Amino acid sequence: MLAILGHEHASAGADLLTPTALSADTTVGPLPTAPTGTDTAVRNSVSDVQRTSGAPITVLSDVAASQEAFAMSLLGKAATAGQSTSYQGVELTSQSGVDGSVTMVSQVWHQGGGLTVIRTSSGATSVVSSESGGQSPAAVFGVTKAMLSLLGQHYVAVYRGTGAVDGRVAAIVEVYRFDGTLAARYWLDNRTLVPLRREVFDPSDNLVSDDAFTQVRIGALAAGAAKAAVSAASGPTWVTASSPGTLLDSLADEGWQLPAILPGNLPLYAASWSDSGSDDVIDLEYSDGLSVISLFIQRGTLAASLPGWRGMSLDGRHVYVSGHSIAWTGHGVVYTMVADAPPQTVTAAVAGLPDSDQPGLAGRLTRGFDRLAHLVDPFG
Amino acid sequence: MSHLGSLISALIDGELEGLELDRANAHLAGCAACQTEASALRQLKRELRTLGDLDGADAMTGRLLAMIAAPGAPGAPDAPDGSGSSVRARALERKPGRRVRRRRGRYVIWSAMSLVVVGVGAAAFGMGGASSAGNEPQITPQLEVFDVQHALTSGDVPFADPADARARTPTRTTLAAPAVPVNDDAALLRAAVAVGAKRP
Repeated sequence: MLAILGHEHASAGADLLTPTALSADTTVGPLPTAPTGTDTAVRNSVSDVQRTSGAPITVLSDVAASQEAFAMSLLGKAATAGQSTSYQGVELTSQSGVDGSVTMVSQVWHQGGGLTVIRTSSGATSVVSSESGGQSPAAVFGVTKAMLSLLGQHYVAVYRGTGAVDGRVAAIVEVYRFDGTLAARYWLDNRTLVPLRREVFDPSDNLVSDDAFTQVRIGALAAGAAKAAVSAASGPTWVTASSPGTLLDSLADEGWQLPAILPGNLPLYAASWSDSGSDDVIDLEYSDGLSVISLFIQRGTLAASLPGWRGMSLDGRHVYVSGHSIAWTGHGVVYTMVADAPPQTVTAAVAGLPDSDQPGLAGRLTRGFDRLAHLVDPFG
Repeated sequence: MSHLGSLISALIDGELEGLELDRANAHLAGCAACQTEASALRQLKRELRTLGDLDGADAMTGRLLAMIAAPGAPGAPDAPDGSGSSVRARALERKPGRRVRRRRGRYVIWSAMSLVVVGVGAAAFGMGGASSAGNEPQITPQLEVFDVQHALTSGDVPFADPADARARTPTRTTLAAPAVPVNDDAALLRAAVAVGAKRP
Protein backbone atom coordinates (compact mmCIF):
# COMPACT_ATOMS: atom_id res chain seq x y z
CA MET A 1 0.00 0.00 0.00
CA LEU A 2 1.53 3.29 -1.03
CA ALA A 3 1.37 6.16 1.39
CA ILE A 4 -0.32 9.29 0.17
CA LEU A 5 1.66 12.37 1.09
CA GLY A 6 -0.34 15.37 2.17
CA HIS A 7 -1.88 17.59 -0.43
CA GLU A 8 -4.78 20.01 -0.48
CA HIS A 9 -7.31 21.33 -2.89
CA ALA A 10 -7.54 25.11 -2.78
CA SER A 11 -10.81 26.77 -3.64
CA ALA A 12 -11.31 28.24 -7.08
CA GLY A 13 -10.20 31.83 -7.53
CA ALA A 14 -6.98 31.63 -5.53
CA ASP A 15 -4.88 30.57 -8.49
CA LEU A 16 -3.00 32.77 -10.90
CA LEU A 17 -3.92 30.72 -13.93
CA THR A 18 -7.52 31.42 -14.99
CA PRO A 19 -9.03 29.11 -17.59
CA THR A 20 -10.90 30.91 -20.33
CA ALA A 21 -14.41 30.20 -21.63
CA LEU A 22 -15.40 28.49 -18.41
CA SER A 23 -18.39 28.88 -16.22
CA ALA A 24 -17.92 30.05 -12.65
CA ASP A 25 -17.92 26.48 -11.45
CA THR A 26 -14.47 25.12 -12.20
CA THR A 27 -15.09 21.78 -10.56
CA VAL A 28 -16.40 19.47 -13.25
CA GLY A 29 -18.32 16.43 -12.10
CA PRO A 30 -18.12 12.88 -13.50
CA LEU A 31 -17.73 12.81 -17.23
CA PRO A 32 -20.95 11.95 -19.10
CA THR A 33 -21.08 8.55 -20.72
CA ALA A 34 -22.79 7.76 -23.98
CA PRO A 35 -25.48 5.06 -24.01
CA THR A 36 -24.37 1.50 -24.55
CA GLY A 37 -24.36 0.56 -28.18
CA THR A 38 -23.09 3.81 -29.53
CA ASP A 39 -20.85 2.96 -32.42
CA THR A 40 -18.72 6.05 -32.75
CA ALA A 41 -17.35 8.55 -30.31
CA VAL A 42 -18.18 12.18 -30.88
CA ARG A 43 -15.50 14.12 -29.14
CA ASN A 44 -16.48 17.74 -28.67
CA SER A 45 -12.86 18.79 -28.30
CA VAL A 46 -9.76 19.66 -30.25
CA SER A 47 -8.93 15.96 -30.73
CA ASP A 48 -10.72 13.88 -33.31
CA VAL A 49 -10.27 10.44 -31.80
CA GLN A 50 -12.95 7.99 -32.79
CA ARG A 51 -13.64 4.58 -31.40
CA THR A 52 -15.68 2.09 -33.37
CA SER A 53 -15.37 -0.89 -31.09
CA GLY A 54 -18.95 -0.55 -29.94
CA ALA A 55 -17.88 -0.39 -26.33
CA PRO A 56 -19.30 2.41 -24.18
CA ILE A 57 -17.45 5.63 -24.87
CA THR A 58 -17.32 9.02 -23.33
CA VAL A 59 -18.93 12.01 -24.89
CA LEU A 60 -17.74 15.29 -23.52
CA SER A 61 -19.92 18.25 -22.87
CA ASP A 62 -18.84 21.67 -24.10
CA VAL A 63 -17.65 22.59 -20.63
CA ALA A 64 -15.66 19.41 -20.27
CA ALA A 65 -14.20 19.83 -23.74
CA SER A 66 -12.86 23.27 -22.97
CA GLN A 67 -11.55 21.99 -19.67
CA GLU A 68 -9.67 19.31 -21.51
CA ALA A 69 -8.12 21.74 -23.95
CA PHE A 70 -6.94 23.92 -21.13
CA ALA A 71 -5.60 20.96 -19.19
CA MET A 72 -3.66 19.66 -22.18
CA SER A 73 -2.30 23.13 -22.71
CA LEU A 74 -1.06 23.20 -19.13
CA LEU A 75 0.59 19.81 -19.49
CA GLY A 76 2.24 20.90 -22.74
CA LYS A 77 3.71 23.93 -21.02
CA ALA A 78 4.80 21.72 -18.15
CA ALA A 79 6.71 19.55 -20.61
CA THR A 80 8.57 22.59 -21.86
CA ALA A 81 9.16 23.90 -18.36
CA GLY A 82 10.64 20.59 -17.25
CA GLN A 83 13.41 21.06 -19.79
CA SER A 84 13.93 24.79 -19.91
CA THR A 85 13.62 25.63 -16.20
CA SER A 86 16.43 25.06 -13.71
CA TYR A 87 15.40 23.18 -10.60
CA GLN A 88 16.74 20.92 -7.92
CA GLY A 89 15.26 18.81 -5.20
CA VAL A 90 14.70 15.35 -3.82
CA GLU A 91 12.42 13.12 -5.80
CA LEU A 92 10.56 10.39 -3.99
CA THR A 93 9.34 7.58 -6.20
CA SER A 94 7.10 4.77 -5.02
CA GLN A 95 5.64 2.24 -7.39
CA SER A 96 3.59 -0.95 -7.09
CA GLY A 97 5.11 -3.79 -9.09
CA VAL A 98 4.33 -7.44 -9.62
CA ASP A 99 6.73 -8.27 -6.80
CA GLY A 100 5.55 -5.67 -4.32
CA SER A 101 6.28 -1.97 -3.96
CA VAL A 102 9.57 -0.44 -5.01
CA THR A 103 10.74 2.92 -3.78
CA MET A 104 13.59 5.18 -4.68
CA VAL A 105 14.94 8.48 -3.42
CA SER A 106 16.90 10.57 -5.89
CA GLN A 107 18.59 13.90 -5.72
CA VAL A 108 18.01 15.77 -8.94
CA TRP A 109 19.72 18.82 -10.33
CA HIS A 110 18.60 20.19 -13.66
CA GLN A 111 20.20 23.05 -15.50
CA GLY A 112 17.59 24.60 -17.77
CA GLY A 113 18.38 23.50 -21.33
CA GLY A 114 21.49 21.70 -20.11
CA LEU A 115 22.53 18.81 -17.93
CA THR A 116 20.44 16.83 -15.52
CA VAL A 117 22.24 15.07 -12.70
CA ILE A 118 20.48 12.33 -10.79
CA ARG A 119 21.94 10.67 -7.73
CA THR A 120 19.96 7.70 -6.41
CA SER A 121 19.77 6.49 -2.84
CA SER A 122 22.11 3.62 -3.73
CA GLY A 123 24.85 6.10 -4.55
CA ALA A 124 24.72 5.69 -8.31
CA THR A 125 24.95 8.97 -10.18
CA SER A 126 23.69 9.50 -13.68
CA VAL A 127 24.16 12.51 -15.86
CA VAL A 128 21.78 13.11 -18.71
CA SER A 129 23.00 15.34 -21.47
CA SER A 130 20.46 17.78 -22.82
CA GLU A 131 20.74 19.25 -26.28
CA SER A 132 18.97 22.19 -27.78
CA GLY A 133 16.20 21.65 -30.24
CA GLY A 134 13.54 20.47 -27.83
CA GLN A 135 14.60 16.86 -28.09
CA SER A 136 16.08 16.67 -24.64
CA PRO A 137 15.18 13.46 -22.94
CA ALA A 138 15.38 15.08 -19.51
CA ALA A 139 11.87 15.42 -18.14
CA VAL A 140 9.91 15.24 -14.92
CA PHE A 141 7.39 12.52 -14.10
CA GLY A 142 7.02 11.48 -17.71
CA VAL A 143 5.65 14.84 -18.85
CA THR A 144 7.13 15.03 -22.34
CA LYS A 145 5.71 16.09 -25.68
CA ALA A 146 5.76 12.52 -26.95
CA MET A 147 3.99 11.17 -23.88
CA LEU A 148 1.37 13.93 -24.00
CA SER A 149 0.62 13.15 -27.61
CA LEU A 150 -0.15 9.56 -26.60
CA LEU A 151 -2.00 10.64 -23.49
CA GLY A 152 -4.35 12.82 -25.51
CA GLN A 153 -5.31 9.80 -27.63
CA HIS A 154 -6.09 7.51 -24.72
CA TYR A 155 -7.27 9.73 -21.90
CA VAL A 156 -9.18 12.88 -21.11
CA ALA A 157 -7.33 15.57 -19.12
CA VAL A 158 -9.29 17.97 -16.93
CA TYR A 159 -8.14 21.02 -14.98
CA ARG A 160 -9.28 20.69 -11.36
CA GLY A 161 -8.18 23.89 -9.72
CA THR A 162 -5.18 24.38 -7.44
CA GLY A 163 -3.55 22.64 -4.55
CA ALA A 164 -0.19 22.64 -2.79
CA VAL A 165 2.95 20.52 -2.86
CA ASP A 166 5.89 21.08 -0.53
CA GLY A 167 4.50 24.49 0.34
CA ARG A 168 4.17 25.60 -3.27
CA VAL A 169 0.84 26.40 -4.95
CA ALA A 170 0.20 23.99 -7.78
CA ALA A 171 -2.33 23.61 -10.59
CA ILE A 172 -4.03 20.25 -10.52
CA VAL A 173 -4.71 18.34 -13.72
CA GLU A 174 -6.57 15.08 -13.56
CA VAL A 175 -6.46 12.45 -16.29
CA TYR A 176 -9.46 10.16 -16.86
CA ARG A 177 -9.99 7.00 -18.83
CA PHE A 178 -12.81 6.93 -21.35
CA ASP A 179 -14.93 4.96 -18.89
CA GLY A 180 -14.72 7.87 -16.45
CA THR A 181 -12.30 6.33 -13.95
CA LEU A 182 -9.44 8.44 -12.68
CA ALA A 183 -6.08 7.41 -14.15
CA ALA A 184 -3.65 10.05 -12.88
CA ARG A 185 -3.34 13.36 -11.15
CA TYR A 186 -0.62 15.96 -11.77
CA TRP A 187 0.46 18.89 -9.66
CA LEU A 188 2.18 21.63 -11.68
CA ASP A 189 3.99 24.49 -10.05
CA ASN A 190 1.55 27.38 -10.40
CA ARG A 191 4.29 29.85 -11.32
CA THR A 192 6.59 27.86 -13.61
CA LEU A 193 4.47 24.77 -14.42
CA VAL A 194 7.34 22.46 -13.50
CA PRO A 195 5.70 19.16 -12.46
CA LEU A 196 5.90 18.71 -8.70
CA ARG A 197 3.94 15.54 -8.16
CA ARG A 198 2.17 12.73 -10.00
CA GLU A 199 -0.20 10.04 -8.77
CA VAL A 200 -1.23 7.12 -10.97
CA PHE A 201 -4.27 4.91 -10.31
CA ASP A 202 -5.27 1.55 -11.71
CA PRO A 203 -8.79 0.89 -13.04
CA SER A 204 -9.84 -0.17 -9.52
CA ASP A 205 -8.90 3.23 -8.07
CA ASN A 206 -5.82 1.84 -6.32
CA LEU A 207 -2.83 4.16 -6.10
CA VAL A 208 -0.07 2.35 -7.99
CA SER A 209 2.52 5.09 -8.39
CA ASP A 210 3.36 8.18 -6.40
CA ASP A 211 6.17 10.52 -7.52
CA ALA A 212 6.78 13.70 -5.58
CA PHE A 213 9.36 16.44 -5.22
CA THR A 214 10.44 17.58 -1.81
CA GLN A 215 12.93 20.28 -0.84
CA VAL A 216 12.41 21.61 -4.33
CA ARG A 217 14.03 24.82 -5.45
CA ILE A 218 13.19 26.30 -8.80
CA GLY A 219 15.57 28.77 -10.34
CA ALA A 220 19.32 29.05 -10.64
CA LEU A 221 21.08 25.98 -9.33
CA ALA A 222 23.35 26.14 -6.31
CA ALA A 223 27.05 26.23 -7.18
CA GLY A 224 27.68 22.81 -5.66
CA ALA A 225 25.43 21.09 -8.13
CA ALA A 226 27.96 21.44 -10.93
CA LYS A 227 30.43 19.25 -9.02
CA ALA A 228 28.23 16.23 -9.43
CA ALA A 229 28.68 16.26 -13.17
CA VAL A 230 31.03 13.77 -14.81
CA SER A 231 32.86 14.59 -17.98
CA ALA A 232 33.51 11.08 -19.27
CA ALA A 233 30.91 9.79 -21.65
CA SER A 234 29.75 6.21 -21.50
CA GLY A 235 26.80 4.04 -22.45
CA PRO A 236 25.68 2.62 -25.76
CA THR A 237 24.15 4.55 -28.61
CA TRP A 238 20.62 3.68 -29.58
CA VAL A 239 19.57 3.86 -33.22
CA THR A 240 15.92 4.83 -33.50
CA ALA A 241 13.54 3.52 -36.12
CA SER A 242 11.72 6.11 -38.17
CA SER A 243 8.77 3.72 -38.37
CA PRO A 244 8.28 1.29 -35.48
CA GLY A 245 5.54 -0.47 -37.44
CA THR A 246 7.89 -1.18 -40.33
CA LEU A 247 10.43 -2.66 -37.97
CA LEU A 248 7.74 -4.85 -36.45
CA ASP A 249 6.78 -6.10 -39.92
CA SER A 250 10.44 -6.87 -40.63
CA LEU A 251 10.72 -8.77 -37.39
CA ALA A 252 7.55 -10.70 -38.26
CA ASP A 253 9.13 -11.71 -41.57
CA GLU A 254 12.03 -13.13 -39.57
CA GLY A 255 9.66 -15.20 -37.48
CA TRP A 256 9.20 -12.93 -34.51
CA GLN A 257 5.82 -12.90 -32.81
CA LEU A 258 5.72 -9.42 -31.31
CA PRO A 259 2.52 -7.43 -30.82
CA ALA A 260 1.85 -3.96 -32.13
CA ILE A 261 -0.34 -3.33 -29.10
CA LEU A 262 0.25 -4.80 -25.68
CA PRO A 263 -2.70 -5.83 -23.52
CA GLY A 264 -3.87 -2.80 -21.60
CA ASN A 265 -4.12 -0.83 -24.84
CA LEU A 266 -0.44 0.11 -24.96
CA PRO A 267 0.55 0.72 -28.58
CA LEU A 268 4.07 0.49 -29.91
CA TYR A 269 5.21 4.06 -30.35
CA ALA A 270 9.00 3.80 -30.65
CA ALA A 271 11.65 1.23 -31.49
CA SER A 272 15.42 1.33 -31.44
CA TRP A 273 18.43 -0.88 -31.56
CA SER A 274 21.70 -0.93 -29.69
CA ASP A 275 24.87 -2.94 -29.88
CA SER A 276 25.08 -3.66 -26.18
CA GLY A 277 28.45 -5.25 -25.70
CA SER A 278 28.54 -8.67 -27.27
CA ASP A 279 24.92 -8.77 -28.32
CA ASP A 280 22.47 -6.76 -30.33
CA VAL A 281 19.43 -5.58 -28.43
CA ILE A 282 16.15 -4.36 -29.84
CA ASP A 283 14.13 -1.95 -27.73
CA LEU A 284 10.39 -1.71 -28.26
CA GLU A 285 8.55 1.05 -26.43
CA TYR A 286 4.86 0.72 -25.63
CA SER A 287 2.85 3.47 -23.99
CA ASP A 288 -0.54 5.13 -23.77
CA GLY A 289 0.97 8.35 -22.47
CA LEU A 290 0.69 7.30 -18.84
CA SER A 291 1.89 3.70 -18.56
CA VAL A 292 5.20 2.96 -20.23
CA ILE A 293 6.61 -0.47 -20.95
CA SER A 294 10.05 -0.89 -22.49
CA LEU A 295 10.69 -4.33 -23.95
CA PHE A 296 14.29 -5.31 -24.66
CA ILE A 297 14.80 -8.46 -26.70
CA GLN A 298 18.03 -10.26 -27.47
CA ARG A 299 18.94 -13.71 -28.68
CA GLY A 300 20.04 -16.25 -26.08
CA THR A 301 18.92 -17.66 -22.79
CA LEU A 302 19.06 -16.22 -19.31
CA ALA A 303 22.26 -16.95 -17.44
CA ALA A 304 22.12 -19.57 -14.72
CA SER A 305 23.21 -17.01 -12.12
CA LEU A 306 21.34 -13.70 -11.99
CA PRO A 307 22.46 -11.61 -9.02
CA GLY A 308 19.81 -9.17 -7.92
CA TRP A 309 17.00 -11.06 -9.66
CA ARG A 310 14.34 -13.16 -7.95
CA GLY A 311 12.52 -16.02 -9.61
CA MET A 312 8.77 -16.10 -9.30
CA SER A 313 5.64 -17.33 -11.01
CA LEU A 314 3.69 -14.66 -12.83
CA ASP A 315 0.31 -15.75 -14.11
CA GLY A 316 1.55 -19.30 -14.46
CA ARG A 317 4.86 -18.60 -16.17
CA HIS A 318 8.29 -18.57 -14.60
CA VAL A 319 9.98 -15.17 -14.71
CA TYR A 320 12.70 -13.25 -12.89
CA VAL A 321 11.97 -9.92 -11.24
CA SER A 322 14.20 -7.09 -10.11
CA GLY A 323 12.40 -3.97 -8.94
CA HIS A 324 10.19 -2.90 -11.83
CA SER A 325 12.02 -5.10 -14.33
CA ILE A 326 10.97 -8.58 -15.43
CA ALA A 327 12.99 -11.03 -17.50
CA TRP A 328 12.33 -14.45 -19.00
CA THR A 329 13.46 -16.68 -21.83
CA GLY A 330 11.10 -17.69 -24.59
CA HIS A 331 12.08 -19.81 -27.59
CA GLY A 332 15.72 -18.82 -27.57
CA VAL A 333 15.08 -15.14 -26.92
CA VAL A 334 15.58 -13.21 -23.69
CA TYR A 335 12.86 -10.68 -22.97
CA THR A 336 13.56 -7.93 -20.43
CA MET A 337 10.63 -5.73 -19.57
CA VAL A 338 11.06 -2.45 -17.71
CA ALA A 339 7.61 -1.22 -16.77
CA ASP A 340 6.01 1.86 -15.28
CA ALA A 341 2.46 0.57 -15.26
CA PRO A 342 -0.07 -0.92 -12.85
CA PRO A 343 0.77 -4.51 -11.86
CA GLN A 344 -2.25 -5.96 -13.66
CA THR A 345 -1.22 -4.17 -16.85
CA VAL A 346 2.29 -5.54 -16.54
CA THR A 347 1.01 -9.07 -15.90
CA ALA A 348 -1.25 -8.87 -18.94
CA ALA A 349 1.61 -7.55 -21.05
CA VAL A 350 3.86 -10.44 -20.04
CA ALA A 351 1.05 -12.86 -20.84
CA GLY A 352 0.75 -11.31 -24.30
CA LEU A 353 4.35 -12.12 -25.18
CA PRO A 354 6.00 -15.47 -26.04
CA ASP A 355 5.93 -17.86 -23.16
CA SER A 356 8.77 -18.99 -20.97
CA ASP A 357 10.96 -21.77 -22.27
CA GLN A 358 8.88 -24.62 -20.91
CA PRO A 359 7.59 -26.66 -23.86
CA GLY A 360 5.03 -29.40 -23.55
CA LEU A 361 5.77 -33.05 -24.30
CA ALA A 362 5.36 -32.73 -28.06
CA GLY A 363 7.33 -29.49 -28.17
CA ARG A 364 10.05 -30.94 -26.04
CA LEU A 365 10.36 -34.04 -28.21
CA THR A 366 10.35 -31.93 -31.37
CA ARG A 367 13.08 -29.70 -30.04
CA GLY A 368 15.05 -32.69 -28.83
CA PHE A 369 14.90 -34.41 -32.22
CA ASP A 370 16.00 -31.17 -33.85
CA ARG A 371 19.02 -31.04 -31.58
CA LEU A 372 19.82 -34.69 -32.16
CA ALA A 373 19.65 -34.10 -35.89
CA HIS A 374 21.92 -31.11 -35.46
CA LEU A 375 24.42 -33.30 -33.64
CA VAL A 376 24.37 -35.80 -36.47
CA ASP A 377 24.51 -33.19 -39.20
CA PRO A 378 25.59 -29.79 -37.86
CA PHE A 379 25.35 -28.29 -41.31
CA GLY A 380 21.89 -29.65 -42.04
CA MET B 1 -1.91 -77.40 -36.84
CA SER B 2 -3.36 -80.09 -39.13
CA HIS B 3 -6.99 -81.00 -39.03
CA LEU B 4 -6.27 -84.46 -37.78
CA GLY B 5 -3.96 -83.04 -35.19
CA SER B 6 -2.26 -85.68 -33.11
CA LEU B 7 -4.18 -88.41 -34.95
CA ILE B 8 -1.80 -88.11 -37.89
CA SER B 9 1.03 -89.58 -35.86
CA ALA B 10 -1.20 -92.39 -34.64
CA LEU B 11 -2.35 -93.05 -38.20
CA ILE B 12 1.21 -93.24 -39.51
CA ASP B 13 2.21 -95.49 -36.64
CA GLY B 14 -0.71 -97.80 -37.35
CA GLU B 15 -2.30 -97.23 -33.99
CA LEU B 16 -5.73 -96.35 -35.27
CA GLU B 17 -8.37 -98.93 -35.98
CA GLY B 18 -12.01 -99.34 -36.65
CA LEU B 19 -14.20 -96.29 -37.06
CA GLU B 20 -11.43 -93.95 -36.00
CA LEU B 21 -9.17 -95.33 -38.71
CA ASP B 22 -11.90 -94.95 -41.32
CA ARG B 23 -12.58 -91.39 -40.40
CA ALA B 24 -8.93 -90.49 -40.44
CA ASN B 25 -8.41 -92.01 -43.86
CA ALA B 26 -11.54 -90.34 -45.17
CA HIS B 27 -10.29 -86.96 -43.99
CA LEU B 28 -6.83 -87.55 -45.32
CA ALA B 29 -8.23 -88.36 -48.73
CA GLY B 30 -9.75 -84.92 -49.00
CA CYS B 31 -7.33 -82.73 -47.07
CA ALA B 32 -4.13 -81.63 -48.80
CA ALA B 33 -2.65 -80.17 -45.62
CA CYS B 34 -3.01 -83.40 -43.72
CA GLN B 35 -1.66 -85.36 -46.65
CA THR B 36 1.45 -83.17 -46.64
CA GLU B 37 1.96 -83.63 -42.96
CA ALA B 38 1.41 -87.38 -43.19
CA SER B 39 3.92 -87.61 -45.96
CA ALA B 40 6.45 -85.71 -43.91
CA LEU B 41 5.88 -87.97 -40.95
CA ARG B 42 6.39 -91.08 -43.06
CA GLN B 43 9.66 -89.67 -44.39
CA LEU B 44 10.79 -88.90 -40.90
CA LYS B 45 9.95 -92.40 -39.84
CA ARG B 46 12.04 -93.85 -42.64
CA GLU B 47 14.98 -91.66 -41.67
CA LEU B 48 14.74 -92.78 -38.09
CA ARG B 49 14.88 -96.39 -39.19
CA THR B 50 18.08 -95.60 -41.02
CA LEU B 51 19.53 -94.06 -37.94
CA GLY B 52 18.64 -97.15 -35.99
CA ASP B 53 20.57 -99.43 -38.46
CA LEU B 54 23.77 -97.53 -37.80
CA ASP B 55 23.50 -98.05 -34.13
CA GLY B 56 26.96 -97.99 -32.50
CA ALA B 57 28.91 -97.33 -35.70
CA ASP B 58 29.33 -93.58 -35.39
CA ALA B 59 29.95 -91.26 -32.45
CA MET B 60 27.57 -88.68 -33.81
CA THR B 61 24.96 -91.30 -34.30
CA GLY B 62 25.53 -92.47 -30.81
CA ARG B 63 24.95 -89.02 -29.45
CA LEU B 64 21.80 -88.65 -31.53
CA LEU B 65 20.57 -91.98 -30.25
CA ALA B 66 21.38 -90.85 -26.77
CA MET B 67 19.35 -87.74 -27.28
CA ILE B 68 16.43 -89.80 -28.47
CA ALA B 69 16.77 -92.13 -25.52
CA ALA B 70 17.19 -89.24 -23.00
CA PRO B 71 14.89 -89.78 -19.99
CA GLY B 72 12.13 -87.26 -19.39
CA ALA B 73 11.92 -86.15 -22.99
CA PRO B 74 8.27 -85.76 -23.98
CA GLY B 75 7.13 -88.92 -25.66
CA ALA B 76 10.65 -90.27 -25.54
CA PRO B 77 10.82 -93.49 -27.53
CA ASP B 78 11.94 -96.75 -26.01
CA ALA B 79 14.15 -97.63 -28.96
CA PRO B 80 15.20 -96.02 -32.19
CA ASP B 81 13.43 -98.67 -34.17
CA GLY B 82 10.85 -96.55 -35.94
CA SER B 83 8.19 -97.22 -33.33
CA GLY B 84 5.31 -94.80 -33.30
CA SER B 85 6.29 -93.12 -30.05
CA SER B 86 9.76 -92.17 -31.36
CA VAL B 87 8.34 -90.80 -34.58
CA ARG B 88 5.71 -88.96 -32.69
CA ALA B 89 8.31 -87.45 -30.34
CA ARG B 90 10.63 -86.36 -33.15
CA ALA B 91 7.73 -85.04 -35.16
CA LEU B 92 6.39 -83.09 -32.22
CA GLU B 93 9.80 -81.74 -31.26
CA ARG B 94 11.04 -80.65 -34.70
CA LYS B 95 8.11 -78.53 -35.88
CA PRO B 96 7.51 -76.59 -32.65
CA GLY B 97 11.30 -75.99 -32.32
CA ARG B 98 11.47 -74.32 -35.71
CA ARG B 99 8.47 -72.19 -34.89
CA VAL B 100 9.87 -71.29 -31.49
CA ARG B 101 13.17 -70.25 -33.02
CA ARG B 102 11.39 -68.03 -35.54
CA ARG B 103 9.23 -66.57 -32.79
CA ARG B 104 12.23 -65.96 -30.61
CA GLY B 105 13.98 -64.24 -33.47
CA ARG B 106 11.04 -61.94 -34.00
CA TYR B 107 10.96 -61.15 -30.29
CA VAL B 108 14.63 -60.27 -30.33
CA ILE B 109 14.23 -58.00 -33.31
CA TRP B 110 11.18 -56.27 -31.91
CA SER B 111 12.83 -55.89 -28.52
CA ALA B 112 15.92 -54.39 -30.06
CA MET B 113 13.87 -51.99 -32.14
CA SER B 114 11.81 -51.01 -29.11
CA LEU B 115 14.93 -50.36 -27.11
CA VAL B 116 16.30 -48.17 -29.89
CA VAL B 117 13.06 -46.22 -30.17
CA VAL B 118 12.78 -45.77 -26.43
CA GLY B 119 16.41 -44.77 -26.19
CA VAL B 120 16.16 -42.22 -28.96
CA GLY B 121 12.92 -40.89 -27.52
CA ALA B 122 14.44 -40.56 -24.07
CA ALA B 123 17.45 -38.78 -25.52
CA ALA B 124 15.18 -36.44 -27.45
CA PHE B 125 13.10 -35.76 -24.35
CA GLY B 126 16.20 -35.06 -22.32
CA MET B 127 17.65 -32.75 -24.91
CA GLY B 128 14.36 -31.03 -25.65
CA GLY B 129 14.03 -29.34 -22.34
CA ALA B 130 14.79 -25.68 -21.61
CA SER B 131 17.33 -24.18 -23.93
CA SER B 132 20.69 -25.68 -23.30
CA ALA B 133 23.78 -23.66 -22.75
CA GLY B 134 25.48 -25.45 -25.57
CA ASN B 135 24.77 -23.26 -28.54
CA GLU B 136 22.95 -20.17 -27.20
CA PRO B 137 24.57 -17.18 -25.54
CA GLN B 138 23.98 -16.81 -21.83
CA ILE B 139 22.39 -13.44 -21.19
CA THR B 140 22.44 -11.31 -18.06
CA PRO B 141 20.11 -8.39 -18.73
CA GLN B 142 22.06 -5.15 -18.56
CA LEU B 143 19.65 -3.23 -16.41
CA GLU B 144 22.15 -0.40 -16.01
CA VAL B 145 21.60 0.19 -19.72
CA PHE B 146 17.93 -0.75 -19.93
CA ASP B 147 16.80 1.29 -16.91
CA VAL B 148 18.47 4.35 -18.36
CA GLN B 149 17.02 3.84 -21.83
CA HIS B 150 13.58 3.35 -20.30
CA ALA B 151 13.92 6.54 -18.28
CA LEU B 152 15.03 8.52 -21.28
CA THR B 153 12.13 7.40 -23.43
CA SER B 154 9.52 7.67 -20.68
CA GLY B 155 10.76 11.02 -19.42
CA ASP B 156 11.58 10.08 -15.86
CA VAL B 157 14.56 9.50 -13.60
CA PRO B 158 16.45 6.21 -14.09
CA PHE B 159 15.15 3.68 -11.61
CA ALA B 160 18.01 1.59 -10.21
CA ASP B 161 16.57 -1.89 -9.83
CA PRO B 162 18.35 -4.27 -7.43
CA ALA B 163 19.96 -6.10 -10.34
CA ASP B 164 21.05 -2.81 -11.88
CA ALA B 165 24.83 -2.66 -11.65
CA ARG B 166 24.59 0.94 -10.59
CA ALA B 167 22.55 -0.09 -7.54
CA ARG B 168 24.77 -3.02 -6.60
CA THR B 169 28.02 -1.19 -7.22
CA PRO B 170 27.51 2.55 -6.91
CA THR B 171 29.13 4.30 -9.81
CA ARG B 172 29.18 7.58 -11.61
CA THR B 173 28.21 7.38 -15.22
CA THR B 174 27.25 9.77 -17.90
CA LEU B 175 24.36 8.78 -20.08
CA ALA B 176 25.20 9.17 -23.76
CA ALA B 177 21.69 9.91 -24.88
CA PRO B 178 21.56 11.57 -28.29
CA ALA B 179 19.14 14.47 -28.25
CA VAL B 180 18.20 13.96 -31.89
CA PRO B 181 17.31 10.36 -32.72
CA VAL B 182 19.30 8.84 -35.55
CA ASN B 183 16.91 7.19 -37.98
CA ASP B 184 18.50 4.23 -39.70
CA ASP B 185 15.96 1.63 -40.74
CA ALA B 186 18.53 -0.34 -42.69
CA ALA B 187 20.59 -0.79 -39.56
CA LEU B 188 17.51 -1.81 -37.66
CA LEU B 189 16.62 -4.42 -40.25
CA ARG B 190 20.15 -5.79 -40.02
CA ALA B 191 19.76 -5.85 -36.29
CA ALA B 192 16.54 -7.81 -36.61
CA VAL B 193 18.38 -10.46 -38.59
CA ALA B 194 21.44 -10.34 -36.37
CA VAL B 195 19.44 -10.93 -33.22
CA GLY B 196 18.61 -14.27 -34.81
CA ALA B 197 14.88 -14.59 -35.08
CA LYS B 198 13.61 -18.12 -35.30
CA ARG B 199 10.62 -19.04 -37.36
CA PRO B 200 7.81 -20.55 -35.30
